[in-house]
Amino acid sequence: MDWEASMKEAVSGGDEVEAARIADAALEKGVAPGDILEKGAVPGIYEAGRLWREGTFFLPDIILAAEAFKEVFVKVEPLLKSGDIAYKGKVVIGTVQGDAHDIGKNLVIAMLRCASYEVVDLGVDVAPYAFVKAACEHEACVLGMGAYMTTTMRVMEEVIRLLDEAGLKKRLKVVVGGAAVTRAYAEWLGADGYGEDAVRAVEVIDALLGWSR
Amino acid sequence: MSLPQPLGTQLRVMKYLFKGIALGRGLKVRNPGGFERLVAAIYGTPDRVPILAQPYTYAMSMHGLEASVFFSKARPFIGASFNFARYFDIDFWSPVFDFYNIEAEALGQRLIWRKHSEPDVDTSQPLIKSEDDLKRLRPPVPGVSGRMPFVLESYKRYIELMGIPPMVYACSPFTMAVLLRGYVNFIRDIRRNPRFAHRLLDFLSMEVVVPWIEKMVETTTASIVVMSDAWASQPNVTTDMVREFCLPYIEKIVKATNSSLRTVVDTGSWGECSVGDPREVLDIKYEMITRGNFFKSLRPLFLLVWNEDYEKIGIVTARRYAEEKSVCLMLNVRPNLIEEGPPEAIVSAMRKIIREGAGRGKFVIIMNLIPVASPLENVFTVVESVKQFGSYPISDEIETIPFRPPAFMPFSDWFRREGLPLD
Repeated sequence: MDWEASMKEAVSGGDEVEAARIADAALEKGVAPGDILEKGAVPGIYEAGRLWREGTFFLPDIILAAEAFKEVFVKVEPLLKSGDIAYKGKVVIGTVQGDAHDIGKNLVIAMLRCASYEVVDLGVDVAPYAFVKAACEHEACVLGMGAYMTTTMRVMEEVIRLLDEAGLKKRLKVVVGGAAVTRAYAEWLGADGYGEDAVRAVEVIDALLGWSR
Repeated sequence: MSLPQPLGTQLRVMKYLFKGIALGRGLKVRNPGGFERLVAAIYGTPDRVPILAQPYTYAMSMHGLEASVFFSKARPFIGASFNFARYFDIDFWSPVFDFYNIEAEALGQRLIWRKHSEPDVDTSQPLIKSEDDLKRLRPPVPGVSGRMPFVLESYKRYIELMGIPPMVYACSPFTMAVLLRGYVNFIRDIRRNPRFAHRLLDFLSMEVVVPWIEKMVETTTASIVVMSDAWASQPNVTTDMVREFCLPYIEKIVKATNSSLRTVVDTGSWGECSVGDPREVLDIKYEMITRGNFFKSLRPLFLLVWNEDYEKIGIVTARRYAEEKSVCLMLNVRPNLIEEGPPEAIVSAMRKIIREGAGRGKFVIIMNLIPVASPLENVFTVVESVKQFGSYPISDEIETIPFRPPAFMPFSDWFRREGLPLD
């Protein structure tokens, strides 16, 4: 089996150790870092998505596939030269203050990276001001916020208020999601988009930035 | 002459149980209390649907307490929860702390503490990073390690105030394993190293949970022990994973700790709406509450279905399932609705919950979480709706029964006049 097929299988099968090993071996052979993502890791995560849609894969399988993709991405990203990947845009993303859940956010990040978005991961328990500061510093075109508890989702209101105050609200798109957040709340909040799940979040961002076909 | 405390408490519980069961069987019981109403609802048809609540962070916020006090000092914790229940006239409440964290913290897991919300396990620093960590791990000393003394003191204070033992809580081994290993690591264990996953679950079940339940029961004489299992929810895990890695350990724990007078259950989790056939998850949840329990029909079993699920699968589906299995159905009120209101929307939602869920009994409504920003009026509206629409037999005209808005005193005034001091 060639390295592309092996990588695809390792990523879709959620084997992060094997995926990283194949990435190392391919780099050693002189494969371009961008190709490692484009020809191996991305097809792997798309395969996982396909198996999910047909009902063969369950959420844990998708999460393990996303983790394997992340392992390859972390290895390859520092080696990418400007122009290796034509990014669609930059997304700053995090879980709101008081909330330590990161599974959903990590899944969205993996999907965004597969869809050629540059992602700045702020992690969990992110203070409102830190969202605004990072969006400004990184010149993001999308700010993503996740809340997984009803007790924490209200923090999003503070972030929106600070974005407004900083004059950023009109310059970037705000997309929210997470188990606690509903479409109605997202609309009430004044968010530009609501990601019902990780796949939908990418579709929403594509649509907001004009990448939908 | 007063009886020795445990015996006196147990006799009192027996009296309430008999009265509650009599009420549930249609016998006339004068002025039933909230606990008797709950018992009647579990076994049959009460005078009206009981309304339960978990005071939790809402009680903390009403009293201006910080999380570091509320979740670690028995008197303010129980005092604030008690005041909450009396102020809103809740039928029954249990002292609910951050029950997923107690055993994990006692084992040495780091928590993140914040000022205004419950502590959380620091998932970036899982206690068990490798198989070797499990070999090094020593079980907690029940009642001594971590905040276990706070839990026991809280239960004792509850008994002093309420005269009956509380429902006591434990974290299920499956959810504890996820908290101690991290979700992704534990899923990897299940897939690639199932023997280690089983070893970990066995350790948590038999050396952590069982001794802790025994200690809580010894201290309180509690007759109901509830294990909670958020991480055993769909779609976080598959139903196959639950069958192999969750249910057998629930059974082991139940068999080791229950008795004819004590019921130990795992109230399961959620996820009916995330699978093609909701029965797949309902069946799992039914197994979670019944596994290991003999004389099922005599047990105070209840099937909890959360709003995220019943709003999608329909209350009627949950009701039918509960009736088929002859268990009490418990539905929560959507927390965001309590926070956002308006009262008219709450009244409308409560009419629907009662109309579709109450049936001929075996039905309970719970406010499991009241977001701290919820207006008092909204909480009173939930309670009043149940009181005004929830009397059995449920009226066919429930939609047209006018709702009388609740009259209430500001909490600060009530607290000055009737509140229990917190120190």
